[in-house]
Amino acid sequence: MSNPFREDLVSRTRPEPCSVVIFGATGDLTHRKLVPALYNLAVDGELPPGVKILGFARREKSDEEFRAGLEELNRKVSRSGHDEEVWSSFVQSIHYHRSEFTDAEGYQRLAERLDEIDRERGGKGNRLFYIASAPEFFDDILEHLKGAGLNQAKDGCWARVIVEKPFGTDLATAQRLNQVVNRTFEEKDTYRIDHYLGKETAQNLMVLRFANAIFEPLWNSNHIEQIQITCAENLGMEGGRGGYYDKSGALRDMVQNHLLQLLSLVAMEPPTDLSADGVRDEKVKVIRSLRQWDTPEKVARNVVRGQYTAGHVDGVSVPGYREEDRVDPESMTESYVALRLLIDTWRWSGVPFYIRMGKRLPKKATEISVHFKPAPGVLFNALPGGLPGSNVLVIRIQPDEGISLRMVSKIPGTSLRLEPVKMDFHYATSFGKSSPEAYERLLLDAMAGDATLFARRDEVEEAWKFIDHIEHAWHQAGDEAPAMTEFVAGSWGPKEADELLKQDGHEWRRL
Amino acid sequence: MNEVNPVHPELGREVPVGAIDHELKKLWAEDDARTNASLINLAIYSEDPHSLESNSKAVRDLTVEHACRAILISMDFDAPEASIRAWITAHCHLHHGRKSVCCEQLAFALSGRAAGRLHNTVFSHLASDLPLTLWWQGELSWVFDDRFARGVDRFIFDSSEWSQPQDSFAKIQEALQARKALVVQDLEWTRSFQIRVSLAALFDDPVALAALPSMGKVVIRYQEDHRIGALQLLAWLVVQAGWKPAGEWAFGADRAHDSACSFAFESRGGHTLDVVLESVADGPPLQLLSLSGDAVTIEVSRQAGANYLCRHLAAPGHCLEEPGPLDPDECVGLVREQLSRGGKNSLYRKILPTFLELLKTVG
Repeated sequence: MSNPFREDLVSRTRPEPCSVVIFGATGDLTHRKLVPALYNLAVDGELPPGVKILGFARREKSDEEFRAGLEELNRKVSRSGHDEEVWSSFVQSIHYHRSEFTDAEGYQRLAERLDEIDRERGGKGNRLFYIASAPEFFDDILEHLKGAGLNQAKDGCWARVIVEKPFGTDLATAQRLNQVVNRTFEEKDTYRIDHYLGKETAQNLMVLRFANAIFEPLWNSNHIEQIQITCAENLGMEGGRGGYYDKSGALRDMVQNHLLQLLSLVAMEPPTDLSADGVRDEKVKVIRSLRQWDTPEKVARNVVRGQYTAGHVDGVSVPGYREEDRVDPESMTESYVALRLLIDTWRWSGVPFYIRMGKRLPKKATEISVHFKPAPGVLFNALPGGLPGSNVLVIRIQPDEGISLRMVSKIPGTSLRLEPVKMDFHYATSFGKSSPEAYERLLLDAMAGDATLFARRDEVEEAWKFIDHIEHAWHQAGDEAPAMTEFVAGSWGPKEADELLKQDGHEWRRL
Repeated sequence: MNEVNPVHPELGREVPVGAIDHELKKLWAEDDARTNASLINLAIYSEDPHSLESNSKAVRDLTVEHACRAILISMDFDAPEASIRAWITAHCHLHHGRKSVCCEQLAFALSGRAAGRLHNTVFSHLASDLPLTLWWQGELSWVFDDRFARGVDRFIFDSSEWSQPQDSFAKIQEALQARKALVVQDLEWTRSFQIRVSLAALFDDPVALAALPSMGKVVIRYQEDHRIGALQLLAWLVVQAGWKPAGEWAFGADRAHDSACSFAFESRGGHTLDVVLESVADGPPLQLLSLSGDAVTIEVSRQAGANYLCRHLAAPGHCLEEPGPLDPDECVGLVREQLSRGGKNSLYRKILPTFLELLKTVG
């Protein structure tokens, strides 16, 4: 029997009562993102009743100590502030479970504890396992969950797993990880989280494209000249990030997941419906259709990698990448990458997609810009300067989420002079209410069994297949490896990245 | 932007009705550092001649979250002279501490026979292409007719303000039948929103859901001015749970004291349900919704002064107590919530016939 009182109250799939087990519960992600997200859901009354949160980690802690640490961070970072009344009720649902990730007995005790919670809750034993630990423990955790029978849902219940990135470090490790995951949980119960997909503007991309009749007829190679996706960060390797980043690099850390996900949302065909697989079927086709840069020559022609040297960001002196804390002084890891991508489909034939991602760029900004072909200039070519640029649709992902459209307009006056003008939509201006954090939406979706905003196995593996060719080319020995370029921190990247677009007669959009 | 006016400082600058557009342009030209934003036309209609200033304050509050072109209308039918006066101003708010976003406000005071010129003078100042949300304050008068309803996309009212609710609801029903696209939003129904959400959340619990067919008693406690809200809540329970009247709906019990009435229903499982509506003199509008039967009790309650609803579920060996968010009581807060939620409010349309039956029974 379904709950008759739910009808028409909330227009989203209903999250179900469950226990949420977080592996890596003493880490930053749990304290800064996951628990504040669950708390905000409690404030909004969105959490299903009787949700229990179990933090699983190695350090010795009591429930009280664990809760105190969470409270301290929640006070600082929670989107909706910290309300004592809600917290005091919410915190009762949080418990700590100490165990090594490799200790089978710890998982048996976890199973017993979860059964006990189910009995207290009086019925359903839904379980959501969130693996927020360091990646080297993924295998152990999954194997031990299976060993304790926790991967098997009881009748009428479910057991799901959320896996944090990185989903492997290349195709082989991703395939292996996926095998381990799918040996433990079915694909339908596996939720690979990419928090970019939980952002409001990323979700709005499909609405923009498919709920507005004016865009879709133009969304193809007949009308679009090029598309750029930029993810700029002004931060470097603060807070000890260098240790992880130097092993990963911009391509694997950001492009393989977040930026290729955005690309697939921009380029996909309309799905047949809004079901998780309906949407993901179309997304994966985009990744599959990427022309492969499978030789060092092709990589050298289409991909630029770089590292920043010492410079200034926001008026402050910053060190070069190789001088950063926990970074190898002879590192060959890219802190910047720019790519030209081609999608071999009817819709996108001949349209270059340019992607760039970099640390220590002048500002923090993530956006997608769709550059339309210029209007035939027959009428205005004779004017001094001709047409001042073409139409550009910009979808800002962060910060200042919104959409703008550049158009050409006549400057008021007796003579005919044309200038670009901008129509701008800001979420914050039009909707005064703040958007929920990406993790709030994604956690609710996982509790509700809606995997639309999570990456599927084939998406992840296809993305790695594309990325691997580039990584292999970069790791060629000797002169065959495409060069590592340099740029001054606080600038917009190496000149070679500008050249990449110049060859096609384009240039990077100024942010 | 100069908002000084000796008569109505809150309303901004008084302008001739025929020069409103021109004056608005001048207003914006004075300060080009500000952004003009609007997603809807929000008209507030009142037949209280002194409502403009308080409604301007309401708009100032609403525009923090809802960018709109606001149009305030006050009607004074009893004034001897026919006159229309107009004021313009803008409500500006800082977003992220830097960008100043402003919403235009036009205020109209229509007096005497000029009240008949509402359509020609006021509704000609809507921002084109944007939907019209109209918040009607007070009793539904003769002004609310078919022509009026046709021009509105979303009609907001508070049925708890009505002294003759049956007559007013009849008008609303007519308007709904005449125009399928009209969205009506009753603030009295909004007052119960979070109570309904909380009850629905409690019934997400499998123990509660399994106990629903065997529920035997329902209690709704309300503050005496919010009988309509209590009846709407009951209508919702009846419609959603599929309860049927057990024989004649009797308005029984304690009618002499007017503090309680009871109804009898039959659940889908054939159980008899006793429903008691209790009114109290003070406290929040809706204070308790309780369902019980077969040793299971499910309650959503609200204490005076509390910031949250209390969700409570008790079953053998199983107890749950959680806070749930609360709806505001005052109208401006409720309108803000309604504008945020949007939607077609189809549930209200669905429960309306049952609610009207209950209202007729109670009298």
